[in-house]
Amino acid sequence: MTAIPPEPRSINSSLIWAIAACLLVTLPLLPLHNYLDPANIAMLYLLAVTMVAVQAGKRAAILAACLNVVLLDFFFIQPRFSFAIGDVQYGVTLAVMLAVALIISKLTTGLQSQATDAIERERQSRALYELASKLAGATSLEQMAAATRNFLHRSQGCRGVLLVRRSDMLQPVEPEHHLDSELQSAAAYTAMQLAQVRNLLEGNQYWMFLPLHGSTYVRGVLAIDFSATPQATINARQALYAAVASLAAIAVERLHFVEVAQRVQLQMTDERLRSAILAALSHDIRTPLTAIYGMADTLALMQLPQPARDSAEAMREQALWLNSMVENLLDMAKLNAGSIRLNQEWQPVEEVIGASIKLLGAALEHHPVKVMLPPDFPLLKFDAVLMERVLCNLLENAAKYSPPDIPVSVNAQLAGDKAKISVCDSGPGFPPDKLDKVFELFERGDTESSVPGVGLGLAICRSIVEAHGGKIHASNRDGACVTFTLPLDTPPVIETEDDE
Amino acid sequence: MNEPAVILLIEDEIQIRRFVRSALEDEGHQVLECGTLKPSMAHVHAAKPQLAILDLGLPDGDGIDFIRELHTHSEMPVLVLSARSSEGDKIRALDAGADDYLTKPFSIGELLARVRALLRRNKAAPAELMFRFGEVAVDLVQRLVTRNGDVVHLTPIEYRLLCAMLANVGKVMTYRHLLRAVWGNSHIESNHYLRIYVSHLRQKLENDPTQPKHFLTETGVGYRFNI
Repeated sequence: MTAIPPEPRSINSSLIWAIAACLLVTLPLLPLHNYLDPANIAMLYLLAVTMVAVQAGKRAAILAACLNVVLLDFFFIQPRFSFAIGDVQYGVTLAVMLAVALIISKLTTGLQSQATDAIERERQSRALYELASKLAGATSLEQMAAATRNFLHRSQGCRGVLLVRRSDMLQPVEPEHHLDSELQSAAAYTAMQLAQVRNLLEGNQYWMFLPLHGSTYVRGVLAIDFSATPQATINARQALYAAVASLAAIAVERLHFVEVAQRVQLQMTDERLRSAILAALSHDIRTPLTAIYGMADTLALMQLPQPARDSAEAMREQALWLNSMVENLLDMAKLNAGSIRLNQEWQPVEEVIGASIKLLGAALEHHPVKVMLPPDFPLLKFDAVLMERVLCNLLENAAKYSPPDIPVSVNAQLAGDKAKISVCDSGPGFPPDKLDKVFELFERGDTESSVPGVGLGLAICRSIVEAHGGKIHASNRDGACVTFTLPLDTPPVIETEDDE
Repeated sequence: MNEPAVILLIEDEIQIRRFVRSALEDEGHQVLECGTLKPSMAHVHAAKPQLAILDLGLPDGDGIDFIRELHTHSEMPVLVLSARSSEGDKIRALDAGADDYLTKPFSIGELLARVRALLRRNKAAPAELMFRFGEVAVDLVQRLVTRNGDVVHLTPIEYRLLCAMLANVGKVMTYRHLLRAVWGNSHIESNHYLRIYVSHLRQKLENDPTQPKHFLTETGVGYRFNI
């Protein structure tokens, strides 16, 4: 599609062409001068001027007109081979010839330039059409950037760089085709921010930055380097550049939505599969556990000999413990998969503390729990079910790892913009070298401990607390202490009740 | 001890049915077992059981639809069996008309206590006007609340909330249910209002508000009031 603009005939060659034409008319006429009337000879010269005007342009036509009058007068007008005074009347012939030369050459030039324009316009629109169909078929940003770049290079002779918006930054689609300077990047960014075309003159470089308008926001910028393009061409083709930019914008937006749709599709399939597996797993594990626990409980309530009854009770305990482990595992799986949606509500923290203590019931029967809470403690925003899990795990740990009858304390206080809640026991505490590690998955304080556990409980606590925007840490202060924080935020205003 | 009752047990897992049945029969009840929802409605019509124990995760349908259908023509209380971490299901079941729920795994003791409470309530007992729990006495006629003989001052909302709870002793009440009973429809999404007023009642009527004995939290679902 390389277009070479028609080479203008050089001035010299067209003048030579004009002289040649005049001589060519004169020579065959010389032997005929006796048979032809001077008026007819003049007509033939006029024809020659017309031809020259059509073929060689204005200057050549003027030259031909003058030359022809001279030749006519010299060779064909009596007295021949001289310029007589009476020949002044041939000034009229000269004027007519000049007028014809000017009019014809002007008309010809106009027609020619119109034809050239039409051809050029047709070429441009065909190129634009080809670009449009390439962009419509592009399956990636890279493809469409290459198509745009090739179009600009081949049909416009300028360099194009396509930049797309990524999290409020502009990035070149093709890393090897990028802007050259900070100034250009800044101008491109401004074009995006203002959603307006920006021009930049930098040294001998001239860049234009066209924003790619999407349906909701500017999706990118098309930067065109016009350094090699004459200003007149740039002005004439503004509409074309705008069309290219809008084609590119449509393509970028289309690709964006395709990507979004694919991602959502994938995510949905993924999530459906994951929750299906988790649901099936939790149902299939929990059902036999419920049966085992219930049957062990039934046995334990029967009038059995002591050893059998002890076994039944142990079975019951173990089933319960297995259940809490399964719950932890399922919660962990859900938290890790990111599929847990926090159901955060404003609530008094003592409520979830009380519920956790009640839920643990038998596990805490040898450990009196002391709750310390300043009066007027503000409401906190959290997911009650998950926070109950945190507190249950911490209380259960405290009970498990401290000797019987040792009290466990739950302490809530304010610390700056956070609420600090700690669960402490006065047992042996965490091994000092493992204080930082106890929240890691499958990490246990004492790996050889006789106390059952797989090191899930604290890991879950950390996941839940962090999902709430809090932090959790362990310390040894008169025993083991786990402290976690929750952000305070601004609780909703409660309308006070008009007392009777 | 309760009078013997006919209890409909709808649970697809045969081992769970087995121990639930044996526990209920030890109490003297008669148990009708169903593994699926389909034959259950026929049992309801034929045997007129006094209580249904329903597993929410049945293979042939949604237990919640069953509860709705049941309550179109029967006042029979329904005890739901469900898994933890499915608070949404519990709330939906309770709002559909279930009376109580048990989280799997559950102990025989818990099961029998719930069954007893539901059967007792089902007998159309005349509305009680005097309640006693812990150190507290409530006289609904005189609108008087005393603790150890001393009058406890309750605000109108606190009193309405206490009455709503006394009307459903032993039963789980969802946030929505209590909000509607106390505030009408205006605060139906304002769970925190309810929580604050429950906390006021605990401050005024519980010995240790942080470890309540009567105003119990059913985390993620609502409250239960125990005498």
